[in-house]
Amino acid sequence: MTAMLEVKGLEKVYTRSVFDRTPTFRLTADFTIAEPGIVGMMGPNGSGKTTLFELVTGSNAPTSGEVSVMGRNIHRVRTDQRDRLAIHYHQSYQVRHFRSWTPNALLENAGSDYPMLHLFDEPQFNTQDGYIGFMLDFFRRLRDEGRLVFLCVHPNERFHLEIVEEICERFIFVQKGSVTPLASYDDLLAHEPARAYLGDLLTERAA
Amino acid sequence: MPLFEARNIQKRFGARVVLEDVSLSVEQGAVHGIMGPNGAGKTTCFNVLTGHYAPDGGTIRFAGRDIAGMKPHRIARLGVSRSFQIMNLFDDTVVIENVMLALPEFRAMTFSPSRNVFIDRALTDAALEILAQVDLAEKAWDKAASLSYGQRRALEIAVALAARPKIVFLDEPTSGLGAEATRALAQLVRRLRESYTIVMIEHDMRFLFELADRISVIHWGQVIAEDTPTELMANKWVARSALGELA
Repeated sequence: MTAMLEVKGLEKVYTRSVFDRTPTFRLTADFTIAEPGIVGMMGPNGSGKTTLFELVTGSNAPTSGEVSVMGRNIHRVRTDQRDRLAIHYHQSYQVRHFRSWTPNALLENAGSDYPMLHLFDEPQFNTQDGYIGFMLDFFRRLRDEGRLVFLCVHPNERFHLEIVEEICERFIFVQKGSVTPLASYDDLLAHEPARAYLGDLLTERAA
Repeated sequence: MPLFEARNIQKRFGARVVLEDVSLSVEQGAVHGIMGPNGAGKTTCFNVLTGHYAPDGGTIRFAGRDIAGMKPHRIARLGVSRSFQIMNLFDDTVVIENVMLALPEFRAMTFSPSRNVFIDRALTDAALEILAQVDLAEKAWDKAASLSYGQRRALEIAVALAARPKIVFLDEPTSGLGAEATRALAQLVRRLRESYTIVMIEHDMRFLFELADRISVIHWGQVIAEDTPTELMANKWVARSALGELA
């Protein structure tokens, strides 16, 4: 069976400028997710979470490596159809400008009408309005309909961890450009950099 | 068969997907609520459903007819009316004139600069009857600008009713209203639902949960939840929220 998402030897290097090739940031990733599910993604600010989302949805070109969604190399799919495979729900309206130099006529069709991968970039969780419950049910529905859901969260309150523990089946921890897949919430808590990142949230008692 | 039914509506603005997949089904005589965070696509959804934008995908059926892509005035003539979040009233005129201008029989009249429409009894009676539905008949000859904010909202609804619609779309009717005006509006909606099918976007959840038969929660351009207020309240995160305190 084709994996839903395959990230192979992916690397994105940002350099100081076109002339000065000194790397300023390097993101590397190598992982496969075969089946539908809900994946939590965490990591400190500036560690490369949004860049990884952009690479997976094809709105940012990798320096090397490949991203396959449902067996299709996302960077070979028409730019106007990439979101039929993988859609990035941005944190705000700040969408980074991106253009592909290959004309769409030379690229492939997505072969899908509705996105297979749904990547949610730091959705606003507010305990006051009740939307959390509807959002979590929606993530479950997507999974049950055979989609792969990524949920990027930046927990700064105890209930954020509660949400993550309730909804996410596996995790991806991103730090300083390195991407670590973790199979469960317990594995996440056993991962030393993740423990350090979550810090006080782990020691505080649930309110 | 539902009076109004939208299926798998999609709308893009360039590279941006604004409505990914919206389906909505409204039975005759129902009050259907739409809620969702800012920027979720609620107003765009109204704009597509009432013809201001043509959808890029999906079907919209009203009273058995396919209306997707039809011009807004044609959809309006079939019996679909709407109000706007930002009020569109003629302030320099009297209250009744706002309603008269929206009457189909006024629009059908041949234009004559010397004709005084205010002495046309049939026309003024029709407008007064509509104003009575929103409790503004006594203010008919007052300047529109002299109305209170809540009364202006009611007048906006009267303008929407002037087209004698079968279904009325209200975009955030309580927006900007205080507690008392909101209660008055809730009373008005309860009365209007006896004659009209109503779809309303609303931020005031107490208002919406009290009045709606079903509610669609829209987020990320999709319907993330849809149910009766009671069922929606049963969610444990909803019970924990301020909404839960309403139950």
